[in-house]
Amino acid sequence: MKNFEEINIGDTLGPLELTVTKQQCRDYAQIMGVAGIAGRFTDEEAAKKEGLPGIILPGNMSLGLLAKLVTDWIGLGNARMTRIGTTYRQPVQPDRPITIQGFITNTDAAERTAEIELWIENEDAERLVIGTATVTFGK
Amino acid sequence: MVDFDPAIINKTFETTEPVEVRADWLQHYCQVIGETNPLYVDEDAANKGPFGGIIAPPSYAVTFRNGRHFFEHVPRFGRRGFDAGKDVEFVAPIRPGDKITLSSAVKEIYEKTGRSGSMVFVVIRSTLKNQKGEVVAHIDHRFMNRP
Repeated sequence: MKNFEEINIGDTLGPLELTVTKQQCRDYAQIMGVAGIAGRFTDEEAAKKEGLPGIILPGNMSLGLLAKLVTDWIGLGNARMTRIGTTYRQPVQPDRPITIQGFITNTDAAERTAEIELWIENEDAERLVIGTATVTFGK
Repeated sequence: MVDFDPAIINKTFETTEPVEVRADWLQHYCQVIGETNPLYVDEDAANKGPFGGIIAPPSYAVTFRNGRHFFEHVPRFGRRGFDAGKDVEFVAPIRPGDKITLSSAVKEIYEKTGRSGSMVFVVIRSTLKNQKGEVVAHIDHRFMNRP
């Protein structure tokens, strides 16, 4: 992680390439307390009955993955993610490769903040989840 | 034009009982989401870090309440809806042992017409506080309903 003075508009985060497993989806649904009531995150057949291709990631899990890209970038640095916003455009499916990446779109020297655009894309480069985050740097 | 009682806007409809953040829950969360930042998983490194100890990954804030009961209290505008997105402001770190409560209110309701037809968005703001009454996060849950 760099200091605020070392970052620039256009600096990239990632790419982070990974494949979320169905078990991770089930575990996340369990953490949220919806495993028993939202079959789309835990049960292949229940998801298909809802017209989905199969189990999908909970939206909050996608938010967590986008947040991880930012917190990995911060590392042990003197900075903190102070905001994240997400839009779930298409379902994210487990057992399929996804890429998470982002770049700095703006910086504010007075506030010592960086604005970051983030997204999760599938192997066809379709952006399934998009978001923005703010990182506030210490002095 | 979407029809609702304007008195529901900004009126808290629910405050949850406190939930204690257990250290083992945080470690499980990190494992599931793949978080490896030492601030969240390595006590020695975290103790030397800017927060003086282990903290929860910021995204842990959204695991407390996920809208499954919100629509017992607010209008649903249609047969079904889904989570369209979130806006989260992280005010202060959540730490193991914190007891978190959420208070929720309808922030806004608006209609949009897209290529696939009319949609009604209900935005619910949840404010998370710790046992000291300090705000740790604001979460705007954006739900999309189709009439």
